[in-house]
Amino acid sequence: MITASYVVLLAATALFLGRLLRGPSLADRVIGIDGMIVCAICLLVVRAMDTGEGAFLPAAVVLALVSFISTSVVARYIEGRDE
Amino acid sequence: MIGEAIVLLGAVLVLLSAIGVIRFGDVLSRMQSLTKASTLGVVFVTIGSTIVLPTWNDDTSAMAAAVLQLLTLPISASLIARATYRARNIEHQIDTVDELAEAEGEA
Repeated sequence: MITASYVVLLAATALFLGRLLRGPSLADRVIGIDGMIVCAICLLVVRAMDTGEGAFLPAAVVLALVSFISTSVVARYIEGRDE
Repeated sequence: MIGEAIVLLGAVLVLLSAIGVIRFGDVLSRMQSLTKASTLGVVFVTIGSTIVLPTWNDDTSAMAAAVLQLLTLPISASLIARATYRARNIEHQIDTVDELAEAEGEA
């Protein structure tokens, strides 16, 4: 069942990567990166369950914080861009 | 066993949100699919892992990640939505009632 979780999360990461590469606007790419970070957090947690040691779990907390900061900065950049 | 089942359910929710992100045709719809479904997915994955993981140290780290996602994903969704609405060069379609435009027209 843990293997199935790995496969499902990797498929979700591939789909988010497709949205990141395809665009078309900057907001779509931000959504793609955000989704990939969500998948990375879930993969870290599943890996901690798989191996039984949680040495990488604080990295999930750091990823959650960094994703929020980067998203808010890029949103501010999109809003201030006048073209 | 039940923890692994809950983790698999959360992973399926994240996959559903990814399918929504790749299939919807509008920035606002994609953002809605990402933030709503994947928030529940992250919470399910961490709850299932706390059932399986043995030590309190690992449990609190996983729950801290879940709480941070719960606090920050709606805020970032609101920020992206506002930026997309205000930026004139990004295509977005609003089908029914545009209450923000009405409110800004009155102000």
